[in-house]
Amino acid sequence: MTHSLHREGTVASLEKDYAVFIYPARGFNYKGCAPKVRHLVEILYQTGPANMIATTLRRNMYSGVRPEEVLASVKEGCRVFSVFNSRERIKELMARFKEADKGISIVVSGLIDRVRKIAEEVGLDPHTINLSLGVHGGKDRLPPPDIRQFTTMCGHGMLSPNLVRDVIRKLKTNKVDTWAGSLILAKPCACGIYNPHRSEELLKAFAPLYTADRW
Amino acid sequence: MIIYKELCVGCGRCQPYCPTRAIYFEDRKSVVDQDICYECGNCMRVEICPVDAIHESPHVYDYPRAIRKFFSDPCATHAVTGIEGRGTEESKTNDVTLRCGPGEVGIAIEVGRPTLGMGLRDIQKITRALAQSGIHEIEPNNPIHSMIADPASGNLKADLLDERVLSAIIEIQVKRDRLSAVLKTIKSVISEVDSVFTLDVFTMLEPGLTIPRQVIETIEAEGFSWRPNAKINMGLGRAWE
Repeated sequence: MTHSLHREGTVASLEKDYAVFIYPARGFNYKGCAPKVRHLVEILYQTGPANMIATTLRRNMYSGVRPEEVLASVKEGCRVFSVFNSRERIKELMARFKEADKGISIVVSGLIDRVRKIAEEVGLDPHTINLSLGVHGGKDRLPPPDIRQFTTMCGHGMLSPNLVRDVIRKLKTNKVDTWAGSLILAKPCACGIYNPHRSEELLKAFAPLYTADRW
Repeated sequence: MIIYKELCVGCGRCQPYCPTRAIYFEDRKSVVDQDICYECGNCMRVEICPVDAIHESPHVYDYPRAIRKFFSDPCATHAVTGIEGRGTEESKTNDVTLRCGPGEVGIAIEVGRPTLGMGLRDIQKITRALAQSGIHEIEPNNPIHSMIADPASGNLKADLLDERVLSAIIEIQVKRDRLSAVLKTIKSVISEVDSVFTLDVFTMLEPGLTIPRQVIETIEAEGFSWRPNAKINMGLGRAWE
């Protein structure tokens, strides 16, 4: 399960963060889905994602992989995960997906109000919602909320809080800049929905609050 | 995961990548604490080691250790579900599968997320509480279902209880009028869980991305609230097989 609905952050920050999934359904529309998914990936690329991955390749946009390689890797049952950092791009993407009408499930993870408005503007009628009722249990053991804004951007929990602290330390000691630091943080995310643009903004905001001590 | 001591140069670059802090220095080399390691493979996948000293343990696919791999490595295809990751397709393809149909609601309890990970005993605390409340509708396609030894008690297979994983998801599907009972049960077990868990509720929408009133009222009545962001199936899928 991509954990995108539990991304933490302020509404202002989440407004620049929408995960999009292209998801064929096993046993329902797997057969013959590869050319349709490939077409949707072409549209996705043209719309300008902040990050993306195809499950058949598992290499994100910043790993040096070329778009042609991603497209060539799309096989039957391949799912594609991506993230966008602007409402306008999501709206354009949804309009183009609707027009393409490939019959593959499309999921958008983001602020409910904004997605509702986009769906209305594009003329889509969303089918199912997955609501987050938050985190429960031993919350006192969690890293602080500002660190969690980074770690919850990785859909499978592969981004360690210690790596965030390590990047902040590197940033404060001038070993990396905020963009290079964001790409370090994006690397462990095997589901391709880590948003390095949002991460860069978070680094700029939070790095001054931390010391340069080793984690 | 293992780090070959004879190859490791002790640079420590791999250590911050471990989501569970299982890698530490010993005799100026990095070593993996095998009790803590989830076998998520992150340290190897990021290719940070300058001397290629990090490798998959030769015993990683032995039972029950393999449970760690299947539940923690997002690139491993689960032996039960055939899906990469630890859950099912749940709401993501619901416009095609109608797995959660009109009048129904799905509940997902992901134990160990965010960040902390967990021992499978934490899962058992919840499956037991659900069983005691007469809630037995655990999703059969979810790997947790196959780990339950006795559905009547909610007990997991005994040989799995000492395993640790990054997270595991209990997925339940019930009629909407049973949502209240499920949330009550979850609420009753919150203080017993050593780790953390995230809680999701998914349901079909009414026109205009309207969340059904019955679902909203039940969530509020049980003292829960929902976050402003959610995962929304845009209704563009269809079946052709």
